[in-house]
Amino acid sequence: MKAFMHRYLSPNSISGWIVTIVLTILILVPLMAVLMQIFFPGLFFGDNQFAGWEILFQIFERKLWSVSLINSLTLATGTAILGTILGGALAILRSSRSFKTAVALDFAAWALLILPSFILAQGWILFASGKGIANQLFSVTWITDLVFQPFGLIMIMTLCKFSYTYLAVTAALEWNVKRYGEAARLCGASNWTTFWTIHTPLLIPAFLSGAALIFMDTIGDFGLPASLAAVYSFPTLPYSIYTALYTAPIRFDMAGVLSLYLVGIIFIAMLFQMWVLKKGKFDFMNERAERQVAKKSRYSFLYTLVNIGFLLIALGIPIGSNLLVSFMKTIGNGISIGNFTLEHYRILFQLDSTMLEGLSNSLLIAGIAAVIGMIIGFFIGYVLIFTNFRLSPLVDSLSIISLAVPGVVLGIGYIFVWNQPWLEPLGLQLYGTPWILILASVAGAIPIAARLMISSMTKIPQSLLSAAALQGASFKERILTILIPLIRASLLTAGLTAFGTSVFDLAVSTILFPPGFMTLPVAINQAFDDLEYGYATAATIFSGTFVVLVIMGLRWMIEKWFNRKQTSKGEMKEHVITGSEHIEEL
Amino acid sequence: MKKKILTLALGVTLLAVGGCSQGEADANTEASEEPLVVYLNDFDEMIEPLFEEATGHDIEIVSGNGAEVQSRIEAEKGNPNWDVVWMDGQAAFARWDNEGVLLNDLDVDNLANLNELGKSLLPESKSYVATGAHAASVIVYNTNEISAADAPKSWNDLTNANLENLVGMADPAVAAPAYPFVSWFFEDLGMDGGKQYFTDLFANGAKVYPKNPNIAEALLNGDIQAAALQESNAYGLKAKGEPIEVVWPEEGAPASVRYLGINKESEKVEIAKEFINFLLEKETQTEMVAAGSEGYFSPTVTGVEDLADRPENAKLLISDAALAAENEAEVKEWFADQSVE
Repeated sequence: MKAFMHRYLSPNSISGWIVTIVLTILILVPLMAVLMQIFFPGLFFGDNQFAGWEILFQIFERKLWSVSLINSLTLATGTAILGTILGGALAILRSSRSFKTAVALDFAAWALLILPSFILAQGWILFASGKGIANQLFSVTWITDLVFQPFGLIMIMTLCKFSYTYLAVTAALEWNVKRYGEAARLCGASNWTTFWTIHTPLLIPAFLSGAALIFMDTIGDFGLPASLAAVYSFPTLPYSIYTALYTAPIRFDMAGVLSLYLVGIIFIAMLFQMWVLKKGKFDFMNERAERQVAKKSRYSFLYTLVNIGFLLIALGIPIGSNLLVSFMKTIGNGISIGNFTLEHYRILFQLDSTMLEGLSNSLLIAGIAAVIGMIIGFFIGYVLIFTNFRLSPLVDSLSIISLAVPGVVLGIGYIFVWNQPWLEPLGLQLYGTPWILILASVAGAIPIAARLMISSMTKIPQSLLSAAALQGASFKERILTILIPLIRASLLTAGLTAFGTSVFDLAVSTILFPPGFMTLPVAINQAFDDLEYGYATAATIFSGTFVVLVIMGLRWMIEKWFNRKQTSKGEMKEHVITGSEHIEEL
Repeated sequence: MKKKILTLALGVTLLAVGGCSQGEADANTEASEEPLVVYLNDFDEMIEPLFEEATGHDIEIVSGNGAEVQSRIEAEKGNPNWDVVWMDGQAAFARWDNEGVLLNDLDVDNLANLNELGKSLLPESKSYVATGAHAASVIVYNTNEISAADAPKSWNDLTNANLENLVGMADPAVAAPAYPFVSWFFEDLGMDGGKQYFTDLFANGAKVYPKNPNIAEALLNGDIQAAALQESNAYGLKAKGEPIEVVWPEEGAPASVRYLGINKESEKVEIAKEFINFLLEKETQTEMVAAGSEGYFSPTVTGVEDLADRPENAKLLISDAALAAENEAEVKEWFADQSVE
């Protein structure tokens, strides 16, 4: 009995089960609802007839599907490789060398993570088109040919998604345990051997989790490839999924098959990641950990220049292009004084503007989703890192899948699940209420929140928690007084990132928003559909700036509050890690 | 101790579920007032206050592009949340009618207000009523790049060598308004003839953009110089002062019909009929015509004039709804597959 209690009712085990149940409800069930369409297309409409297996193999017969599959794999692999190299290099530079504008790099990584890809795509198109801004302002014409071809698409995707690796590696490099390297050197290892056998393995999890996130976010992205690839043929899996959903009669079964292939690809990528990670355990933190201090270098002006150049390309081009257009009366008449206007911003600030209504609704939804997403992300990290929960691989996979499956697929799954008549008497028919958007936003926020938590918890040795347990600290005390203070900054980052991405989550909103409940991305998208480019970009710039300011303000306030609380308790500098005030991710 | 852990860990679930029931309770209170739920793709900002003021009934709007509205209706098939659907695209309505989704024999008083166009668009089953028709595509060109003399005048001109790699159109496999456009070619020229026309167009380097806004952007940015663009977008751009000119081809412009139908399972049929009557009033259609770029359409109510900047006898080529529905899957699949040819 005691053994049973220990196995199934220990706090660790209960946390594991709760996380599994929550992920099942939020992600697995809606996804399965769509995948079930492959075999039972009438399942939710009172027809349980089995449709056979044929459709599964159509990918080998229909050229569009096989080409989409190959294109998606090429795009995602290319972006993951280039993004990992770029993000990793920038992170190593940022952590090891001191230069001005380094904070701006952090900011850019963050902003690119939060901004929706359709806005970035829009910026690049405005910049690189035949008569685009590059041509008008700088008379550069070769940029058109460079951007609008498959490798150009991979480069743009790299610039938009490198943040995942950048953030993961910066976090991993934040704390440095010098004595591992020193020990190796004492044993006669060369500088190179020390780098290769000590430092590199410690960074592998961060590189891998960054690469995995880039791969999955890229393979599930519809907006950016579709907009950029319009001038040449480059169909991707999400494109084929859209054509299945928007054909007539609508083919949920086809969308299901293609989503199944996406899920399969993710599964293989996860297995690969697990196989690599199996080679070593990486909790390296101990009492000798020191905050990595960026060295001053005589080349620091060079680093500053490189950084500014990079920021101008990665963030300056897409945001700058949008900003320019937001002040232009017409796009076709180009950049000139006569074409300048403030009208788009004037309309935006009218009190009855749908945009402002959408913004306030989206902020509310994202705020609630961020808190829930952060808590779920925390427990996913806890279960995966500090427990031997049997279903850990399932938790791990589910926590990342919603990044790769296009939002519209998950959205349709949500309709199937949450629009069933029998839920009505239970008060749980959530489709048609704002709560469906919160659930979907939480599902969308989980991948990033969970990865941030996992990467920061990987560094914390289990022994810290075990020691506290031996001293009699309860589960709650261990969480609240050991774990949370150590990863507080990551936790905050996870919550705020979840908030930022939820505000702009378009795909889920368009298919799920309840009657009479406008959200910001839907309002921006409608303005874009009505060809109100200036107004749509003005709204994007304003709301983007507003959200970033809210995030930075919240971050500053919460940090300050924490620090004051600590100082008043006289606990400053009393953490396990010597000399640290707090662990900071960014 | 265990209780505490349970409370802590269950918090997540309870927060969600508990909160949700509260939200649902609120929604139920609202439901008791029973607003009419309308799924539509245009006129979302103006129609709600107009109808509520005129009739005193509450309505709630879900607006999206045609494809999103159709996806929602299909996914909700087991438990529909909508009362009225009002959007572009004759094929979708013909299909819903066949599937028995729509209420038949709409005996609303204001059918008497329909003009010749409106009457001609009424199907035998009277399951759906047209509120207007507009060009799913007209020819547009960038006046900074092409002179009026060199501008394409007919649909065949888009395949001319002087427009090689410079023509754009929307993807019928993704953009809802593009299907009524292409379906007319398949009706007029037959399936093979239709495929041949578009094959020629693609052989001339025509580019297929996901949606109409992408075409407009490419046209203004100089990636293309001429395009087949939805009428409201074309005139909307011109009205904003963009360097765009609109050409109605001599043979006419393939049309998209904006229809309106009632969900057979709706519990608010009477209010829904009031909504139809309201949209078939002369005053309402006059307001719709005045509603900016959405106002570019041929009204279906007697005595309502269309906008002056449309040609006097704007020739609309309206494809047969039933035939368009029949060919829809094949045509869309063909277009999607073209992206790998």
